[in-house]
Amino acid sequence: MTLMSNVVISMRNIIKRYYIGQPNELQILNGIDLDVTEGEFLAIVGQSGSGKSTLMNMIGALDRPTEGTYFLNGQDISTLNDVELSRIRNKEIGFVFQTFNLIARTNALKNVEMPMMYAGMPRKERLKRAEELLEIVGMADRADHQPNELSGGQKQRVAIARAMANKPSILLADEPTGALDSKTGRMIMDLFHKLHEEEGTTIVLITHSPELAEECDRIVTISDGSIINDTGVRLNAVH
Amino acid sequence: MQFIENIRLAFTSLLANKMRALLTMLGIIIGISAVIMITTIGTSIQKTLTRTFNSIGNFNYFRVDLWIHDPESDGGWVMDELIDRDMVDELIAKYPDQFMLDLNDSFGNVTTQNYKGQIITLSVNGSMDAVPASDHKRGRTIQYKDNKNLKNALYVSDLFIKQYFPEGTDPIGQTVNLTFENGVSADFVIVGYDKLPKIYEQSFEPGTAEIDKVSPCAIPVDVGYRIMHKEMRPSDWVNIRYNAEMDVEMQRQQVQNFFEEKYAELPKYRVTVEDQQSYLGMINTVINVITIAISVIAAISLIVGGVGVMNIMLVSITERTKEIGIRKALGAQNSAIRMQFVVEAIMICLIGGIIGIILGILGGMLIGWIAKTLVTQFYAEYAELIAITIQPSIPAILIAVFFSILTGVFFGYYPANKAAKMNPIDALRYD
Repeated sequence: MTLMSNVVISMRNIIKRYYIGQPNELQILNGIDLDVTEGEFLAIVGQSGSGKSTLMNMIGALDRPTEGTYFLNGQDISTLNDVELSRIRNKEIGFVFQTFNLIARTNALKNVEMPMMYAGMPRKERLKRAEELLEIVGMADRADHQPNELSGGQKQRVAIARAMANKPSILLADEPTGALDSKTGRMIMDLFHKLHEEEGTTIVLITHSPELAEECDRIVTISDGSIINDTGVRLNAVH
Repeated sequence: MQFIENIRLAFTSLLANKMRALLTMLGIIIGISAVIMITTIGTSIQKTLTRTFNSIGNFNYFRVDLWIHDPESDGGWVMDELIDRDMVDELIAKYPDQFMLDLNDSFGNVTTQNYKGQIITLSVNGSMDAVPASDHKRGRTIQYKDNKNLKNALYVSDLFIKQYFPEGTDPIGQTVNLTFENGVSADFVIVGYDKLPKIYEQSFEPGTAEIDKVSPCAIPVDVGYRIMHKEMRPSDWVNIRYNAEMDVEMQRQQVQNFFEEKYAELPKYRVTVEDQQSYLGMINTVINVITIAISVIAAISLIVGGVGVMNIMLVSITERTKEIGIRKALGAQNSAIRMQFVVEAIMICLIGGIIGIILGILGGMLIGWIAKTLVTQFYAEYAELIAITIQPSIPAILIAVFFSILTGVFFGYYPANKAAKMNPIDALRYD
């Protein structure tokens, strides 16, 4: 990738406060400036309570900033209403969670189909795409399994397939290996690298693990609601 | 697009908690089945009454009554200046094609060579059947035109047919010679016959040989009068058949005015004209009102059921907070979440409603069957007259389905809206 690539995320002076106007008013983010270009594999690291989850919610269009501007693919997210935010989450963001968050009593295929269903894709088309995605993550033979019939690593692979369903601008992964043993975690990280290299997916990885962060192109360290270190895109990443 | 998906989701969710879903439906099932059962019984009573009345005859006639109005007492019976045949004939001539005299009379026993039992004659004028028609009726009954044309038409019982004709003959159109009590004989043509109703058999001594049984027969009334040299006795009441295809109230007024004019010089005389068909209508109205009143009471349990559905939906939504959060993170709009849970509530109510309808119909039929059995057991002689029809009310079923859906929407909306408005971050964090 080059520095000429498209800017996917452009955050300027993002401030997030809770309990506004009350005695216990709390400022979680103190003016975050962050740019992410297409094709980056970025790690956001920080301790618990550093504000990285809040930043993730902001990036994932789950929440609006109190102050500041957030452009995602050139669109100002901070001014959108609930319906428009839903559409952004549906089309532009692919979430991968620590606890997988597959929908219970719904098989792997249906879980992967879900974002496409909410996007209004015809049934046949989304079935075909879901099968392809499960193939990519190596879960094609488990398509009709319920989440409770899958191991942690298998669940996470289905979750990644689901995140990729609508070809999002960003794959947003929140501690994706946090609930897995190291061997399975390794497999999931390998899958991220594969998606990054083969599909050119922009990945934002939120983690508190310095080892995982070292594998990424770029590390942004956050502490007390501010970015304290940004390595920029490194060509000598560990992986 | 997502609607079928929502129905599938609702089914999955209901199947995951079968027992809970069934208990939730119970209120709806009881409410709907009670309404259906009551309306089924109501409709059945109505049908039964209508059929029973219609089997006796049709009621498109006015009853004209003459009264004495006396402020000193409660009134009294008219003893003279009665309604006579000339008066009625004048009325009929005044309004052609509208009115007919509805008159029955009896001409005693008649005899014929080939029949050894007793035959009593019931004479009729108008289209009212002399004997109640059953399913075994063949040919036709005595009609008004038979009387008008003084045709020697005869309507008999199957008992008569069985004895008079050899087996295999078609009796309709055959001629029978009848001898009346005054010795006059005349040939009559059989126009129809019917099974002898049990109500006539009841008057026989047990063990009476079939050959000695009384068989009623009907002839046109004016034919009977001519043979017996009689005429209609003047009376303080008379039945006037009207033309059902014309405005009934207008015709009633015509009859009323006609007779009031006749008695204009007798200020104490009062004439009342009442439509007999309207009595049947009144009975139907009363049954309708009772059915609706009880149904409304039964429908209250539908509200209780609906509150149960709302309660369970609220529980379900709390349990599935995480799922709602995930769906929102995947891009589900509030409206999609709302629709999902409203559809689920509708499914609960609709399935409950359908079960209720089935149980209600079965219950109504069971009660109808019991009623039928009781009538046959205890009132065997009337069993043929009381034709019990058990029929579920189709409008009630459609209304029940509609109300099931409405209950689902009404009691499902609040929980569904609560789910739709959840903050995705809080919902995702919920454990």
